[in-house]
Amino acid sequence: MRKAVIMLLVVALLTGLLGLGLKPVSAATTQFPRSQTLYTGGKQWGPPSNWNPFMTGNYATGTIGLCYETLFLYDPLTAKFTPWLASSGKWTNSTTYRLVLRSGLTWSDGKALTVDDVKFTIELGKKTTLNFSSLWSWLTSITKVNSTTLDFKFKTALYQEWDNYLYNLPIVPQHIWGTRSLTDVATGANDKPVGSGAYLYNTYDQTKMVWEKNVNWWATKALKLSVAPKYIIDLVNTSNENSLGLVLQGQEDLNNNYLPGISTLLTGGYALHTYYPSAPYDIAANTAWLDINLQKKPMNDLAFRKALAYGINVADIVSRDYNNMVSAANPTGLLPMWNKYVDQAVVKKLGITYNPAKAKQVLAAAGYKDVNHDGYVENKDGTKITLKLIVPNGWSDWMAAAQMISKSAKAVGLRIVASYPDFNGYLDARLKGTFDLAIDNQANVSNSPWTYYHFIFYDQLKDIPTTQGGNYGRYNNKTAFALVTQLDKTKTTDLTAMKAVISKLQTIQLTDLPMIPLWYNGMWAQMSTKYWTNWPSSVAGKNHDLPVTWNGYWNMTAILMLTQLKAVKQP
Amino acid sequence: MAQPRKQNEALYFMRRNAKLQIGVVIVFLFIILALVGPLLTKYQPRDYVAPGAQPPSSEFWFGTTSFGEDVFTQFVYGLRSTFLVGIVGGGLGTLIGILIGFTAGYRGGIVDEVLNMLTNIVLVVPSLVVLLIVAAYLEVRGLVFESVYIALFSWPWAARAIRAQTFSLRSRDFVDLGRLSGMKPLKIIFTEIAPNMMSYLLLTFILQFGGAILTAATLDFIGLGPTEGMSLGLMMNNATTYSAIMLHMWWWFIPPGLAITAIVGSLYITNVGLDEVFNPKLREM
Amino acid sequence: MRRYFGRKLLIYAITFVLAVTVDWAIPRFMPGNPVEILIARAGLKAESAKLIYSYYMKAFGLNVPIWRQYLNFWIALFHGDLGVSLWLFPQPVMKIIKQAVPYDILLLLPAILLSWLAGNKFGAYAARSKWLDNTISPLAYILQATPYMWLGMLLAWLCGVRLHLLPFSGAYSNAMMPSFSWSFVWSLLQHWILPFASLFIVQFGGWAIGMRNMIIYELEADYSHYLEALGAPRKLVRSYAFHNALLPQITGLALQLGAIVGGALATEIVFSYPGIGFLILQAIQNHDYFLLQGSCLFIIIGVLLANFLIDLAYVLVDPRTRVGMQGEG
Repeated sequence: MRKAVIMLLVVALLTGLLGLGLKPVSAATTQFPRSQTLYTGGKQWGPPSNWNPFMTGNYATGTIGLCYETLFLYDPLTAKFTPWLASSGKWTNSTTYRLVLRSGLTWSDGKALTVDDVKFTIELGKKTTLNFSSLWSWLTSITKVNSTTLDFKFKTALYQEWDNYLYNLPIVPQHIWGTRSLTDVATGANDKPVGSGAYLYNTYDQTKMVWEKNVNWWATKALKLSVAPKYIIDLVNTSNENSLGLVLQGQEDLNNNYLPGISTLLTGGYALHTYYPSAPYDIAANTAWLDINLQKKPMNDLAFRKALAYGINVADIVSRDYNNMVSAANPTGLLPMWNKYVDQAVVKKLGITYNPAKAKQVLAAAGYKDVNHDGYVENKDGTKITLKLIVPNGWSDWMAAAQMISKSAKAVGLRIVASYPDFNGYLDARLKGTFDLAIDNQANVSNSPWTYYHFIFYDQLKDIPTTQGGNYGRYNNKTAFALVTQLDKTKTTDLTAMKAVISKLQTIQLTDLPMIPLWYNGMWAQMSTKYWTNWPSSVAGKNHDLPVTWNGYWNMTAILMLTQLKAVKQP
Repeated sequence: MAQPRKQNEALYFMRRNAKLQIGVVIVFLFIILALVGPLLTKYQPRDYVAPGAQPPSSEFWFGTTSFGEDVFTQFVYGLRSTFLVGIVGGGLGTLIGILIGFTAGYRGGIVDEVLNMLTNIVLVVPSLVVLLIVAAYLEVRGLVFESVYIALFSWPWAARAIRAQTFSLRSRDFVDLGRLSGMKPLKIIFTEIAPNMMSYLLLTFILQFGGAILTAATLDFIGLGPTEGMSLGLMMNNATTYSAIMLHMWWWFIPPGLAITAIVGSLYITNVGLDEVFNPKLREM
Repeated sequence: MRRYFGRKLLIYAITFVLAVTVDWAIPRFMPGNPVEILIARAGLKAESAKLIYSYYMKAFGLNVPIWRQYLNFWIALFHGDLGVSLWLFPQPVMKIIKQAVPYDILLLLPAILLSWLAGNKFGAYAARSKWLDNTISPLAYILQATPYMWLGMLLAWLCGVRLHLLPFSGAYSNAMMPSFSWSFVWSLLQHWILPFASLFIVQFGGWAIGMRNMIIYELEADYSHYLEALGAPRKLVRSYAFHNALLPQITGLALQLGAIVGGALATEIVFSYPGIGFLILQAIQNHDYFLLQGSCLFIIIGVLLANFLIDLAYVLVDPRTRVGMQGEG
């Protein structure tokens, strides 16, 4: 009996070890020298499984940014485009965009990156369904003018949207992707990716993605840029707790998880650094707002919505729930980097901020009274008002926020019940429009407030369940929809025209209150100064790149952060 | 009529059995805490009461969570739902087990075969796994739901035990007598067999109760417990998610686990004590 | 013999079909659909999302009638194809599971076997004298009552965070890649100890109690008294009792498998140990229907197989079952 058991044990251990796919590897590649490695984390919630740059939401950290690159970089803090793979681009007439590609670009396998690759990549979107295929509904053709120039001819020129593509479209090599089947292009994993970027694919396993410095990177010669870390190892998140532990021990250099408690840990001697040395610690990334279902009573009553807006104590949520790691949104909901588009006069006249006395006033004036003296107001016809505010189960900070909203609403006589369905239930309720109230946050930092307004005034109401385009409250206002399209067609260089349209949109938004902006979520970023220093910082004289590894952020200057890092001399 | 003497005998030994006494006292203490606890605190489990992550103090006996909620409040409300699941889940499981066990044991034959097969099927399936699949897809989950699920997977243990006992009892003389005198089967079950199994049923219920608490704690810990309310397993879930271990917030995760261990452990020890009381063979060694 | 196995096989077959059906059916009758979630995660522009939506519906076979989807599921199952993961698209579920299985084997097999052996041994000691019984038994009961994840949390906190003795998350150091080097194996062992200990300690309690009860029962049986009356040494009587008591413990092992799997899941969560349990948790959190289905099915089949093997072993070990079967023919 005992022998059998011992045998089984040995078998188990061997199976375990063998099953791990162990191959005898030389010592050199099994260990990565700490002083030359940058450990990141916070974006990857599962083992790397996909390097297809067209599958946003699935590709491994850095696929676009470290491996594949875009035509331009965009800096949201200065609102400037930096030519990257392109050397310049401009509209030669109202419907033609001329792109000039930089010369001397190479792929990591040595071949040249030319306009043929650019043309090929974008035309892939026409041949099969990719994440940018809808571009072809307003792009007519791409013409090769000469070996470095392409002309993009449009049916309708949507300037704001086009700019968005300029810093988001990854360029892939024709000599590799041209031989693949269209299914492979659209949904293949694209193992061992070949890109033009600063890093090469090295290896990966269940817990990490390893990128290695590309010594032949084109930008070293062309822009005199060199990335500091030799290896970038992006660690797979297993839990927030684990991430916190790694950062505090200096085993992770840059972490982009939301870690409550960071504000107090900054002074704990852990060599932690955040972009802002004090609240809100991180740059604002997107707006969290209250979705209101305008198809239901009494939410369809403007007075009710106004009272709701007056009755929510956002400052409480910001200070207690988030310990000031977020900041309260201004009434328009536009991110701080878009402050120049906020029409202060309109905000002053129509903006609503927390004012419980006013909330009660508005309710009373509109005819909502507490008929049965239960502490809550009833509908005008006497029926009870009980609204359910949904947030996904497990998102503790939102759960706490929902509780606080419920509390402050109670104080003005509104019964709002916080409810925490599972994520699919939450998502489904928003998509199908069966919810009462929900907390939502989707419109992220981008090159133009058009993306924000396109989201809150999404006009294809029937398509919301499949496209998830926004406007979950089903606000129906043809004027607003037309203005959003008009904004898209406004040139990005014409600030005055843009401001004019946006001002009109803000007036509509603040008058009708289709949704209520609450706070700005941050680009959560905790950095350890144990092994690397000269991190991005708001302090004057420091670099102001974005310290974020999330999708879409590398090409919003996070790649430049890597060129500024300095290794710390270890004792 | 063997009942009164048996009862006296049982009581006599109960009073002398240390395990039984200790176990019962501990469980009793926790029940009192669960009942009275919420009256001792003026907060609700998810209220913000003070800046987060505070260690136990005279004001907040168990300290606060990362979100500034009072751990003691969460603890006592959690105890309540823990006991509720134990009683409803354990009770329902015992009931189903009794039904199936009795029927199989008494009837025998093909009925027994079929029920036995059913029991084995449910026994073999790893219950947690199926619970995961179902619970993961429900939009809103309540305490009652959780109890029912747990019962649906824990009854086989009860059924097996009861079936075995029923088998051995039904061939006894007094049951044959009952059948000969024309008693209806149901009456036989209730008047002859059941009283002799009372002790057994009690033991089974206690085990089911303890088991239900543990299963519920695991489900809650994974995040598949009730979507509203508070429970001890949920406290441990929150503590783990919000880095209590990393941040040395021992007051957040030690009380819930300790309570479950204490309650279930006491239940098991009570069970042993009762077993000794009812089963003379176990009393001496 | 044939009847015994026939009946067992029938039970296993029915269980299997039921389990597969439940496993397949539940996600389909719940609100929402997997493509919605995929799109939510991708953060696509609305116009593109429209196109992608129908693309994925076709790719996942969700645009055919329900009965056809059920049939396809069975067909794929017999090809060993458990579908494609949503969360780790486009990795096949089977591949993902295969990567997690070695960790479970590493964790569970030693834990189950060692705790079974040690538990039985200590349970036998407890049955020897009242003093031992009064010390070992209550401890065993308390251990058995300890929730797996709480013990894990305690160990992680004490040995990991407070004393900095051992790592408490992951399967090996982040700075390493799997290889046959000593440093890797050492790292693996260090990360393995705490989760193993959690599982071992709790199960140990259970087996000890079981064995102790069984031995007491056996010591009270007629044959024990008879042997004692004949003057046989206490040790001999005990050894007979022990071997007889082992038999129910073997069946007990089979029955406990389901519960042990649950315990492993909780432990893996605490230590972020990359076994199937942890995979299931992530599948739930990332709403990956197909991975969740596949992993759960994998576990169920595994448990069924293990049960079957244990049944076989039982027949080999216990001569009574064989004799009984010969009688039936």
